[in-house]
Amino acid sequence: MRASGVKYLLGKGIENIWKNRMMAFASFCVLLISLLLVGLSVLVSINISSMIGGVEDKNEVIIYLQENATDMEISELYGALVRMDNVAEAKFYSKEDAFDDMKGNMSDYQMVFDSLGEDNPLLDAYRIRVEDIGRIKDTLAQIDTLEHIESVRAPMDFVNILMELRQILTMVCGVIILALIIISIVIIANTTKASVFARRAEIQIMKYVGANNLFIRIPFFVEGMITGFFAGLVALAVTWLSYDALVELLTHGTNVIAIFGMTSIVRFEDVAIPVIAAYLIAGTFFGALGTVFSTRKHLNV
Amino acid sequence: MRDVSVIYSGGVDALHHVNLKINDGDFAFVVGPSGAGKSTMIKLILKEINPSSGSIYVNGYNLNKLRRRRIPALRRTIGFVFQDFRLIPSMTVYENIAFVLRVVDAPPKYIKKRVPYVINLVGLSDKARSYPNELSGGEMQRVAIARALVNDPQLIIADEPTGNIDPEMSYEILELLQSINEIGTTILMVTHEHSLVRHFGGRIININQGEIVFDEIVGGNLINES
Repeated sequence: MRASGVKYLLGKGIENIWKNRMMAFASFCVLLISLLLVGLSVLVSINISSMIGGVEDKNEVIIYLQENATDMEISELYGALVRMDNVAEAKFYSKEDAFDDMKGNMSDYQMVFDSLGEDNPLLDAYRIRVEDIGRIKDTLAQIDTLEHIESVRAPMDFVNILMELRQILTMVCGVIILALIIISIVIIANTTKASVFARRAEIQIMKYVGANNLFIRIPFFVEGMITGFFAGLVALAVTWLSYDALVELLTHGTNVIAIFGMTSIVRFEDVAIPVIAAYLIAGTFFGALGTVFSTRKHLNV
Repeated sequence: MRDVSVIYSGGVDALHHVNLKINDGDFAFVVGPSGAGKSTMIKLILKEINPSSGSIYVNGYNLNKLRRRRIPALRRTIGFVFQDFRLIPSMTVYENIAFVLRVVDAPPKYIKKRVPYVINLVGLSDKARSYPNELSGGEMQRVAIARALVNDPQLIIADEPTGNIDPEMSYEILELLQSINEIGTTILMVTHEHSLVRHFGGRIININQGEIVFDEIVGGNLINES
């Protein structure tokens, strides 16, 4: 085909959007809503999992050291702990610090502490934070093999609840997103079908004057692509603005953040590139794909 | 058409062992009552349907052996005029006609020359920028004829071209088709307006109940005109 032919077909696709603006607008809205629904649910699920991650980061395993361990042995233990791949950090927590903290926390029992005098009944300890809470059991088993350890206190109940919570939420989010995607595809297919159906006479005439299928399809395809692209663009803008507004609200308007910590909210800038790409590609792709399936039926004349 | 029969899936016997040859340069009327098989014949020529038996040749194409993807090539050698005009409503008169040439990937220069020429031929130069819904029935049919003509087809099929327009316009349309025939294009026109056929004369093919019952060249009969 000559360049002028290609130019004609592309131009035709753009022109058709305007000429069939009501149907184009309907497709645009359907695509927009579908993209928004799926996009926002993905973002929400990313945040939920990030929040759980934020809580997980607060995990702490306390390792009490034997009273008779020498300074040398204590620092060797430190080296061994830090070398474990699942240990994010290890902090020494001396029995003096522990005693002071305890006094501070339990000021009502001043008399009890006074009676102890200089005797400190507590033990030196290491507080460690694990990288991946899912592997905490392995890490604990590894710690058990080390020497000079009196006892280990790990927040196993907390860990189990978190793991379960995360599993359930991941599943629920996954199911919701999957359902939204399926619903969106069905609605998009039906809208483009309606849009093509309204122009089936046109397609038939084109067939009668000897147009081949590609010639008929390209303008529809271009039309779908452009409509989809713009739907993606608007969905992106809406998502960005509403997301930032929501983060603003959560940060300044409520105490939610205080519970999970500010770092657990994913900032839009951090996910902007994949989100932009996903919206534009998905919009263009589904916009165009819809026309491929819906024109097929009318081409057999 | 050689020994062509068509039996629709519902068991309707639409054409019954029909033999028909339309010669180059013919102006043939196909007449007959509704349901006689006229539309079936046209659908066969367009390869919209396939015969149950028999063979069909159109403009050098053997339709029995023609592959689906070659159908557009066949249709480009035929011009069509329909009773309901079938213009694309979203395109101007010019665009409707030019579309046929774009389909065959004609050079833009040729399109720019050829389209105004045929629009002028059917006398609609001042309507080139109008949309179909701004035209009268007679004008729309003239656009349809220009569209059928623009690609210089060997054969023009007109299916009840006068069915939706005023009687006096019908004569104009027929005169137009006749002048096209005079420059060498074969014309096959389906109609049931016997007065038109009597007036113009030519080859008359009468189909009834799926069989050709009459096929002769008849001179124009001007006496019947009041």
